[in-house]
This record gives sequence, structure tokens and C-alpha cells, in this order.
Amino acid sequence: MAEVIIKNVKKIYSGNVTAVHDFNLHIKDKEFIVFVGPSGCGKSTTLRMVAGLEDISEGTVSIDGEVVNDMQPKDRHISMVFQNYALYPHLTVYENMAFPLRLDKKQRVEPLSPTEVERAQKELEAARAAGNAAKVAKLEDELQNGRQQKGYTNDQIYDRVTSAAQVLGITQYLTRKPKALSGGQRQRVAIGRAMVKDCKVFLMDEPLSNLDAKLRNQMRAEIILLRKRINTTFIYVTHDQTEAMTLGDRIVCMKDGFIMQVGTPAELFDMPANLFVAQFVGAPMMNTVNCDLSREGDKYFVNPYGYKLPVDGEKGKALLERGVQSRPIILGMRPEHIQLARGKEGIPVTIQVNEMMGSEYHLHVTTEQGNKLIVRIPTISLTDEERNSMVNGTQINITFSGKAMHFFDPESEKNLLVDITNADAYELDADIIKHEQQEELPKAEKEE
Amino acid sequence: MAERKHMSMSTKRRIGNVASYVTLALISIIWILPFVFLLLRSFDVGNTGPSSAIFPEKFGFGNYIYLFTAGADFLKWYFNTFIIALVVCVVQTAMQFSMSYVLSRYRFKLRKFMMNFMLVLGMFPGFLTMIVLYQVLKTIGLTGANAVPGLILVYVASSGMGYYVSKGFLDTLPKSLDEAALVDGATRAQIFVRVILPLCKPILIYTVLTSFMGPWGDYVFAYTVSLGNEAGMNVAAGLNSWLAPNMINDHFAPFCAGGVVVAIPVMVLFLFLQKYYVEGVTGGAVKG
Repeated sequence: MAEVIIKNVKKIYSGNVTAVHDFNLHIKDKEFIVFVGPSGCGKSTTLRMVAGLEDISEGTVSIDGEVVNDMQPKDRHISMVFQNYALYPHLTVYENMAFPLRLDKKQRVEPLSPTEVERAQKELEAARAAGNAAKVAKLEDELQNGRQQKGYTNDQIYDRVTSAAQVLGITQYLTRKPKALSGGQRQRVAIGRAMVKDCKVFLMDEPLSNLDAKLRNQMRAEIILLRKRINTTFIYVTHDQTEAMTLGDRIVCMKDGFIMQVGTPAELFDMPANLFVAQFVGAPMMNTVNCDLSREGDKYFVNPYGYKLPVDGEKGKALLERGVQSRPIILGMRPEHIQLARGKEGIPVTIQVNEMMGSEYHLHVTTEQGNKLIVRIPTISLTDEERNSMVNGTQINITFSGKAMHFFDPESEKNLLVDITNADAYELDADIIKHEQQEELPKAEKEE
Repeated sequence: MAERKHMSMSTKRRIGNVASYVTLALISIIWILPFVFLLLRSFDVGNTGPSSAIFPEKFGFGNYIYLFTAGADFLKWYFNTFIIALVVCVVQTAMQFSMSYVLSRYRFKLRKFMMNFMLVLGMFPGFLTMIVLYQVLKTIGLTGANAVPGLILVYVASSGMGYYVSKGFLDTLPKSLDEAALVDGATRAQIFVRVILPLCKPILIYTVLTSFMGPWGDYVFAYTVSLGNEAGMNVAAGLNSWLAPNMINDHFAPFCAGGVVVAIPVMVLFLFLQKYYVEGVTGGAVKG
């Protein structure tokens, strides 16, 4: 069990620059949490506070029920992978990976490693044959319960390093120095070094940012596999929303030191709490337009670009449930939720830029009033004739259905249909609060 | 037409090359002549007094043998210098590196001020403090015959001030190495010894060489502090005493031999350490 509870954590740098404001998060055991946001949003700072590389100005971080604010990084039972790998250049790959194990001199009871088990079994047979009862008893005890020892033995280090190297496919590089490795291999070594020791929390600070696009996709898939193997709590920092969406069990979307939303990838995509999250998650960015939401009886309508469109389906029901009245809004539509209107009804737009992505077209279009928006059209949905006509300057008609619309308050930029209360966003549930009664309840999130 | 132009270009280049080689050759002759003179004179057993003749009247090793006889104080001076240089070299390197590491990696109050202050202090010529230093050393009895510990004290006292070069080098080592080691379970001291120092080899060797050669070749301080007492002199001050009017007539050639012997340890040290002067030890630490 290694929960990480971050309570009311603030980071204030000298000169009163606040990098992180009142951060609250309950990371469950074995959860994969991703901090995502543009650069300077405080995501790395928060991670470094968990790691102990940065002082915590206010609030508490606890790992596995223990407040770690005043603990050295080495006592926090964490492993970390850095963006620039941070391998020790004077050591071989093997020694790089063995480094944390060699430094650990704690007294412990450690189960025998595979090599040691093999040797102990041979010795056991020999001892039995020789009738050495004391030795037989000792070896049997060690095989069963592990051995009382200080630090790790060379055999244990060897077994751990080679098995990690096998998982990562770097066995043939163990005798090399880091400078003789490519970027991808170095990153594997860095991950290997973090893997060999027993840690409660695995921290990764933009581990893929220094890799080229193809390698990044490959490593991303490997991290997903790795996570299944290591099966511990992960905190992963990235500025790349694709990484966040594909890796995270839950995503913490941050901006300017504030948490904007915490949720599963699907929640962030389908129900963004505010305009920032809506535009940050998903590529290309969500289209937005200022318009009016009007209520006529139990029906709702919006009027983007001067065209009246009904809000139907779930979204209409949700608006009705909340009793939303006519009001100005910011309307958001994802590019992939806009379709070509093959009939006549639809909003006429002119293609400005046509990006052929292979599987789909990204069309940058302008409406008659000059509003710009982006439309994603799957190539497979188009006839040959339509494909040929997708050139700059062509006029097409587009439409979008009510169920894919997002409604934001023009002032607060909050989603009209998503309520974020402290409890459901951060899951600082009653048990934990009871558990740490000396602390007061987390304050409500400040967004403005 | 094109060919002529090409010809003239190559002729021009040739003239330029000749001119620069002649200049360079002249400069190197001027530079190297004193050393050749010193070396040749040191073998002159015919005329051991001052002479402007470059080639010895009679070749022999007599002057070298004289250096190591009991009559001359040379061995004593040599030993003094060696002890001073060795102790200073070890202490100064250790102090300079600790200082540089702290200034490069820790952030504390007055750090900037301290760095600037030392920079300004370093701008004053060291000789300005000589008289005061002499008086201080004299009060605690470390002058004259006891000049060796006195000199060590003088050289070592300000060693932290030479932090700039090694701090500059340490600044280029990524901080994430320290952080990775911290997470891996190293203490600050372990990081310094096991991660940072091995990466500092080139600059460490530079520091060792400079801190050895400073006291090894020093004359002014050594002369002042030993103040004519031969038991406390280093090689430079001692050899210089052979150039006194009553000594010079039969001590000039041994003086030259002494000069050659003084150069040997530094040369050996340099040749031995040179192979460690490998750049790019940090290659592969971080992406770049």
C-alpha cells in the first residue's frame, strides 16, 4: 500500500512568486497519475516536492501514511526518472543501475536472489549428505525466510540489475558507458536504475521529452507494459496531452499553479470542467465561439455564427435538469465532432488551409462572419469527388449535433454542466481526514 | 586568366607562410634560449663562475654532484620546497574543490556577496600583504629557520579563493546528477566523492598542477619569510643566495644545475598527469 496524499501544498519561491497554490490530491495505491499542463504550470515543482528535491512551503505530503515533508529523498522510498536521464557518465550501465543498491546499507531481512537460491540448494544437498545438521537448518531457514543482512549482496545486485536489463532489453549494453548509447537506450537505463530498488512511488519527470517522435511512441507503449510489471504507484509529469491521455488512470490538469481538473482521460475529454481543460485536451484544439443559449419551453437552442441549432439529446436534458435559463455562453465543439452537411442545411464555411493527415483531413475554415474553426474529417468518409474538391477556397457546409456541444460561462469559463466540488475532484474522503485530524479540511479550490 | 589568378593566390599564401614561420621561429628562439643556456651551463665544470659563453669549456657532471654533497644546502632546500609544495597541493586542492562545490550547488545568504568579495580581494597583488604577513609570522615564531610551516600557512590560507575555475567547471555538470544521486540514496558527501569528483578529473588535475607549482616556484614570499636563514629557505631563495657577490664566482654553474633539477619534478608530474587531461568525461550524462 502506497497512497500519496498531497494536502494544501503550496510552493512559494523567494520574492513571493507562488508556483503552486493549494494543491490537494489523493493518489490511490498502484494508481498511475499524470500531471499535465503547459510549461510553468507547477507540475514539475509539485513532483519535485513529492520527491523531496524541493522544499514544501506549506501543507503536507504523505507517502504510505507518513508525512514526508522533512524527510530526505532517500528515506521516502521513491524512484525517479529525469527528463535528461541523469546517468552517471563515469560508470557503466551496470554500475549505473547498481548504484542505488550499493548505497543502501540498511539492515534488512532479504529473500535470497535466484543465484543465491541455486547455490544454497546445492550447499543444502551437500550438507545433508555430510550430515551437517546445523548447516542444513541454517540454509533451510535462509531459503524459507530470507537472510538478515546489511545492504545487498553482490549476487542480489547482479540478479536485480540483469533482470531489469532483460525487461528493458538492454542486457547487451551493460558493460558500456552511457555516452556510447542512443537517447532511447539511455532512457531505458534511467528507467532501469529507478526499477531496481524497491520503491513505493515511481516518479517520472517528462521522461520522453528528449526522444524523437517515433521513439516516444514506442517508449510510451513500453511504459504501459512496464507499469503492469512494476505495479506500484506512479506519478508522471508531461506537457504532452497525448501521453497524459494514453498513460494516466487519472489526469491532473494544471495551469498557473492551480489544479484545473482531476479526472480520468475520458472525463477530461467528454466533460472538461472549464475552457482551459477543454482546449488543452484533444488535438486539434476545441473550437469555441461566443453565442447565446436560448430556452424555448423545454427546448434549448444555440446560435453560433448566426445559425440557430437545437441542443438535443443528453446535453439538452442535462441543461433542463439544471434549469438553465437563456444566457450568453461560450460554445465549444471538438473538430472531430463537426461533420460535413451533405444536404443544404448547415453552416457555410470556406476552406482556408487543408491539411491532409492521411487518415483524416484537418480543414481550417472561416465562416461568413470571419470566425475561424478547425474541422476534422475522416478520409474514409469522403467520396473521391469530395476528396478532390477539398481545396483551398472551396465552400462547404458543416453541421454539429447538440450532444457534442460544450457550454461554458463566458466570465468564469466554467462548464455549465460540470460541478466540481472538492470532494469528488480530489477524493480526500472522510477516512483520511479523520486519520489526520490535526489538519483542517482542505479549502475549496481557488480558480480565479 | 583564371590560372594566373590562381598562381598569384598560391604565391601570396606561400609568402605569407614564410613570413609567419620566420617570425614564429624567431620568437621561439628568444623564448627557448635561456633554457638552452641554463642546460648547457649546468654541465660546465671548466668555468663555474658567471660567463656569457653558451657552450661549456669542459663538459662534466661535477655541478650536479656538488648539488648533492653535504657541503651544499641544496638537498635541504629541495626537501623544504617539496614538503611545502606537497602539503599545499593536497590541502589547497581539497579546499578549492569543497569551496567550488558549495558555491556551485548550495544557495545560501551572502553567497553572491562572498563570491564578489573574494573576486575583489583576489585583484590585490599578494605582495601587498607581505609585510603584514611577515610580522604576523614573526610574532608566532614561524620565520627564519621555521619558515616551512609558516610558508605552508601562507599558501594554504587563501586557497579557497581560487575557486573560479573549478566552480565554472562544476556549473557545467548537470544538477540533475546530484538530484538523481540524492534519490538513489546518496548523502551530500557521497555525491561529492562518488559522482562529482570522478567527473572532475580534468579540472582536478589542473588544480593539482597549479597548486603544486605555485609554492614550488615561489621566490618572493619564500625569500622574505626565510629571511636569510638557510635552514628555512626553499629552492628558489636558496639558489638565489648562490648569486650573492661572494658566492657567484664558483657557484654560477651549480646554480644552473640546480635550476634543471628543480624543473624535473614538475616535468614528471605534468607528463604523468597529462594523459588524464581527457576532455568530454561528461559525454552521455544528459542529452546533448
